Formats: sequence, C-alpha cells, structure tokens
Amino acid sequence: MTGPLETGAPVLELRGVTKRFPGVVALDDVSIEVRPHEVVGLIGENGAGKSTLLKILSGVYQQDEGELLVRGAPARFRGPRDAARAGIGTVHQEQSLVGSVSVAENLLLGAEGRSVRGGFYRWSDLNARARAQLAKIGSAISPTARVNTLTFAQRQMIEVVKAISVEDLPDRTVDAEPVVVFDEPTSVLAGEDLETLFAQIERLRTRASIIFVSHRLDEVLRISDRVYVLKDGRCVAEREPGAVDTQELYRLMVGRASTGQYYREDEQGTFDSTTADADEVLGADGLSLRGRFADVSFSVRRGEVLGIAGVLGSGREDLCRAIFGAEPLDGGELRVGGKRVRFRTPADAVRAGVGYVPAERRFEGVAMGMSVAENILLADSSAVSAGPFAVPSKRAALVKQWIERLRVRTPDPGTDVATLSGGNQQKVVLAKWLSSPRLRVLVLDHPTRGLDVGAKEDVYRFVREMCGQGLAIVLLSDTLEETIALSHRVLVMRDGRVAAHFDAAPGAKPTQVDLVEQMV
Amino acid sequence: MSTVPVSSSATATPVSPAPARSPRRLIAAVPAIVLVVLVLAVATQRPAFLSATSLRTLLEGTAPLLLLALGQTFVILTGGIDLSGAVLASFGTVLLALWLPVGGPLGAAAVLLALSLAGALNGLVCAYAQIPSFVVTLGTMGLWSGVALAVSGSSTISITKGYDTIFWLRDLRVAGLPVSAIMAIGAVLLAAVLMRVLSKGRSLHAMGLAERATQMSGGRTFRLRILAFALSGLCAGLAAMVLAASQFSGAPSLADSLQLPSIAAVVVGGTVITGGIGGPLRTLVGALLVVVLRVGMSVAGVPPSFEQIVYGTVIVAAVALTLDRRRVDIVK
Repeated sequence: MTGPLETGAPVLELRGVTKRFPGVVALDDVSIEVRPHEVVGLIGENGAGKSTLLKILSGVYQQDEGELLVRGAPARFRGPRDAARAGIGTVHQEQSLVGSVSVAENLLLGAEGRSVRGGFYRWSDLNARARAQLAKIGSAISPTARVNTLTFAQRQMIEVVKAISVEDLPDRTVDAEPVVVFDEPTSVLAGEDLETLFAQIERLRTRASIIFVSHRLDEVLRISDRVYVLKDGRCVAEREPGAVDTQELYRLMVGRASTGQYYREDEQGTFDSTTADADEVLGADGLSLRGRFADVSFSVRRGEVLGIAGVLGSGREDLCRAIFGAEPLDGGELRVGGKRVRFRTPADAVRAGVGYVPAERRFEGVAMGMSVAENILLADSSAVSAGPFAVPSKRAALVKQWIERLRVRTPDPGTDVATLSGGNQQKVVLAKWLSSPRLRVLVLDHPTRGLDVGAKEDVYRFVREMCGQGLAIVLLSDTLEETIALSHRVLVMRDGRVAAHFDAAPGAKPTQVDLVEQMV
Repeated sequence: MSTVPVSSSATATPVSPAPARSPRRLIAAVPAIVLVVLVLAVATQRPAFLSATSLRTLLEGTAPLLLLALGQTFVILTGGIDLSGAVLASFGTVLLALWLPVGGPLGAAAVLLALSLAGALNGLVCAYAQIPSFVVTLGTMGLWSGVALAVSGSSTISITKGYDTIFWLRDLRVAGLPVSAIMAIGAVLLAAVLMRVLSKGRSLHAMGLAERATQMSGGRTFRLRILAFALSGLCAGLAAMVLAASQFSGAPSLADSLQLPSIAAVVVGGTVITGGIGGPLRTLVGALLVVVLRVGMSVAGVPPSFEQIVYGTVIVAAVALTLDRRRVDIVK
C-alpha cells in the first residue's frame, strides 16, 4: 500500500505460461502482468515455481507453452542477454558481482562498448558512465571502489544499479523503462539495511516497474501494489494489500488453514515421560564445534522425532551434519544406543546405524547416473550379500520391496535416478536408509525441500511409519509449521546454543510464536 | 512498438527426453564395431594380418599397453587421471633389473609392492591434500622419471642373472598364446568379474558419478581413491615385468611412450573421462583398437613418427564424443 495504483498497458505480461521438467510441472498455466511503475509481489513456498518463473523472465529457461509479452509484443528470450536487451534486469539472490575489481568495471561488465579502445580500458570514460548509472538512484558509492571493500547493502545497491542499467544497452530491443526483478532480496538483510532497500525500491519505482519475490509475507504486503500467490506451479490468487492480511496470504500460499490432518498428527505416537531415558537411542552431551555451536545436549528416544528449529546461522545445520560425521566435533559426547561413539567420517556413522537425508538432495542424496537399485543399496548392502559377494536375487527382491513400500514411481529398478522427479528421488534416498537393517537414527535435513504437496505428504507418512518401527529421528525443517507438527519435542537453537526446549506432544503443541521468540 | 527477439509462436520446445537405455548401450558398442571394421580393413589390405603368427605378435605387443590401460581405467572411473603410470612402469623395469639378480622371485614381488605403494602415494596426496590428480600425477611423473634416471645411471641395465624369474612371460605359451597376453587379458577379466560380483564392486563407478553422494552414503571415498591409484601402480608393475622380460633389460624410459596410448585405450574403449561410466572390458576393446590402429597405420604407409599425433587426436575426439556435458558445470 505504498503508492498510487498506476494504470496503463502492462509493461510485462505472462499468458498461460507452462514449464515442465522431467516428472514435474514446474509452472502450470501461469498468467501475471506488471503495469508501469508498479511493485508486484510474488510469493510462494519452496517449490511453488517462483524461481522457475524468474528464470523464464531472465531468459535462463524458455517456457514450453504460453506467451511472454514485453510492452504488448510477444517475446521469446533465448538467453539472459535477450532478457537484458528487452529491459528486464534481475537483482539476484546470491550476489553476482566480481569482488576483486572496481564498481565501474562490475556495472559495465559486458557493456563496456566505447569505454574500451584497442583492448584497454579508458578509465575516465568508464568511471564517468558508471557514475551516471549510480546517480540514477542517487547513490554516492565511488565507481573506483573495489567491490569487496563494500558492505553487503552497498553491494546490493550495485546490483540494483546493474539491473536498471539494462535500459542503456546499445542493442536493446525495447526502448522504455526497465523492469527490475528482485529475487528474495531480503532473506539476508535485517534492520537498517532492510529499510535502505525499501527506500531504494520506492525511489526506483518512479523510473521502473518492479517484481519483488519473497517468502516474507509482511514485507511483500508492505512494499507491493499487488501480490500474486504461486502454489504448486499455479498462480492461485491475485490480491491487493488493502484487501488481505498475512494470515490469508499464508493460507493461500500453503493451501489450507488447519494442519493436523496434513501432517497425520493423529498417527503421532505418545511418550510416557517417566520411562524416558531407558529408551534413548541418540544422546548428546555438550557437543561443540568451534565457531558453529557449543554445549548442545539432547536425547532422542525410540520412535521419537526431535525437531531442531533456528534461523540461518543458529548452528543447527552444522549440528546435524556433525551428528552424521560429515563435520568434526571439537568436544562433547555423542551416544548411539547408549554406547559412546566418535565419527570421523560419515562411513563411521553409517556403520553405527546413523543415516542422513541431506538438504542437498541432488549432490549428496542421490548418486546421479546410478540406477534406482544401485542407489537404494548404496549405503548398506550387507543384508543382500554373502560375504563380500552380492547375491543378485536377494538384491533385486530387496529393491523391489522398497520401491513398492515407498511407492517410488520409476519405469524399472535399472532406471537412472537422475530421470526421476524430485519427490521420487527423495523416496529413493529414504529407501537407501530404511533398507539398512542397522539403521537406528535418521537425521532428516530439510526432507521436504523442493517437493510438491503429494510428495511431502508421502514423506510425512514415512516419518510416522518409521517412528512406529522404533527409529529415532532428528528433523530440520524448512518451516516451523512442519517442525511443530512432526516433532515430539523441539529444540530451539540460537547463535550456536540451545535456547529452549519444548514438548510437542500431540494435542499440546507449542505455537510458532513460542518458537520464534526463542529463535531471535 | 519495438521488435523483441524471435517469434510469437507459443509452440512448445519439448523438454529433451531422458536418455533411454538402448542408445546408451548402442554407444557402448561403437568401439567394438569400429574394432571389427578396422580389423577387416587391415585384413583386406594385408591378408597375412589374420594369420596366427601375426595375431600372436599383436597380442604380445598389446600386453604392456593393456596392463597400463587397465590401471588407468580404475583411476579414470573415479573421475581422476594417472599421468605417472607409464613412467612408473619404466622405473619398474629399472628396479627389476636391479632387484631380480639379488632377490629372484622375491625381487619381482618387491617391485610390484613398491610400485603399488608409489601409486597409493598418488592417491593419498590427492585425497588428503585435495589436489586434482592431474596435478599430483604430473608432479610424480617427473619425480619417478628422475628417480629412475638416477638409480639406473641413465642407462639400460640388461638382465642376465635372475632372468629365469620372468622368462616365462616372454617364452612360455599356452595354447599358442604368449603368457604375457594371457596375464594381461586375465587381469582385465578378473577386474571385470570382481566389479560385477562383489557387493561393493561398483564403488569406483559410484564415486566417479557422484562422489559427494557416495561419501554421504557411508562410502569410504578416501580409501577408494587410494585403492584406485594403488591398483594403477600394481598394473604398472605387471607391465614392467612384461617389458623387462621381452627386452631382457630395464631402462629408465622404456615404457614412457605408452602413456598417451594407454589413456587413449581407455577413452577410445568408451570409458568416460569424467568418471563413473565404463570399465575394464571397454578398455580391452580400446587397447586392441589402439594396437590395430598402429598396425593399420603402418599398412597404410604412415610413418611411425606420426603415431603420437594420431593418439593425441584420437583421445580428444573420443572424449568429445563420449563426454556427457550436462554433468560438467564448467570446463577448465
């Protein structure tokens, strides 16, 4: 609700855009439009299709169906260069600047033009042009400053200037004010920097149109004139900030108000707290890793889910990798099944019955290029071996059993796992651990990241089943909602230390607010 | 209204379909087909090529190359490369010349052990210091070459005393085939069979395809890397024995010219240079291809000095054809 709603022909329009990847429809018939001098918010959960949409706008992907119109004229971008020439600039989530050279060189990277003569920079010309670009948003940053001497917020400003400088490309195809796309610009900003960015956007809108992507609903409501909600690849709603609150946006984004059924809370087992420690499967006392976390203690029992909540930098990611031996511990004691363990590599952890479902599924979870069957047997094939030799019939039977149990959709067990959808790949990762007779502890690091709703529900179902079979689970989740719903107990971490412990028994769950208060 | 790149058509560019399995198999068969074609081509020009004597000589000459290429296969499967294999084999012949007279069979065993350790050292440095194998083995290539020169006094040392330990490699024949060739082919078959029947037999492939995922599934990638390089060293030792037997001597650069063809044999056979796809049987086909190519060149009247030019070209061409570029983010 920040400015007058401008009317006029859209500067940018998507009509019925569909984008498919093997096994997934990333965008399904999405239509949005951006009008002159407008700030359009775009929200959605992870995997809702936000980044695919942005990549189509910036020319990285091409849509399979539908139309992209720039100032009313159909466009098709074959690469980032085409998008820039059509006046669409992107402020990337991860900064795309070259740190070791000057601001001016960064701003005019790839557009040096007359500033280069005979292979040499004409510095005065280059710096003058850079200064002119910086002046557009009233920035006083020196063109000759080296980028890695600037603060994060200053660098982000350079990104903004770079994004709007697309309007000065000599070979531009659209001669009009640019569209600037902000891809989750606030996820690493706080306080003053955030205010600077918002002020920046306010100033920018007088000379450009803006698409603002974020999953922080309050920010989107504050800065946008209109908000589009993406869910599972579809555009499910278009709202104006005056007529909607964060609650409703959230409901639109997630697609439901009540969560109990979704997470199968009724299937969550209960614990008699008096018998507590006899059943301990995973125990930790005073774990520490210098610079990451310190003095972390907890205990997970048979059939229990321990959720770990915390913001980025709270140390929870490092903690769960350390439990699996992927990072070294500096101190403290770790116990599995009552026995003290020390893991120097993940191999030690696997041997002791600890499994890990990594957040980086594509690099650390599945072995791309190997078959589904080989992936399932990658961690532990001892049950289907005779001494050092494989027993093919047993292998095939075990693989078949797990493909069926987890409903992995694959043409056959010999299929390259890389060709499966994200959800099915994640099921293969789960099967890899669950098929191991040794498994006692499973660490789930963002297990539903990037999965569609159906696959998420499957993962929740497996978590419940695994608990039923006595597995101890440590869960790091993308959302607090998921953490609370799935866990029996929740550990909140802040700045590398345990800030609070919550019981989260079925029917007596803490609220998100309870957790957030301890997180920040 | 200004023009905007390309068309207004909303027709879909279809997502490229996932590679089906049959084309992959077809590609795997290409080297074998080329081999057959090449053999036939040479045979039509020179029918004597297919005679028993000629084939026997061919196999005999293939043995050192095949052994080096087999060692190279293990390393390339993990995604690395061993540039020091041939130099190690040369060094091995020098060691044999020095140690056979004093140790006999024990001397031969010591040479195999020493070269395995030298290979393992390559792997150790790569794994612990996290240095690309290309750089490490480029360094050790110079290192062992220098050591071989120093130890041998830069000269060929003929083997007289103790030669009876290795004479069988040259002189013994089973069913008309030289034992050296049988040993080399046997080593290839053994490796291929073990990769198939062991429950961890595909670990090197897994590592080459997805090292992080293998590690995060409990694979001991450090040990696997060291194992691959140690096997490369062991194969270099076997190649050294065959060479020393056929030359009655050891010399500090006896096997050096086999480096390029041994890598060529692996990639021409269809093992992918980025690792994970391929195996010993493909290397057997590749080694035969390289050798027949050499014969073919001499039949066609190409001067021997051109051979390295052909190997170099063939390596680049084979890699260009087999590399799956989707798996390589940035080519350096």
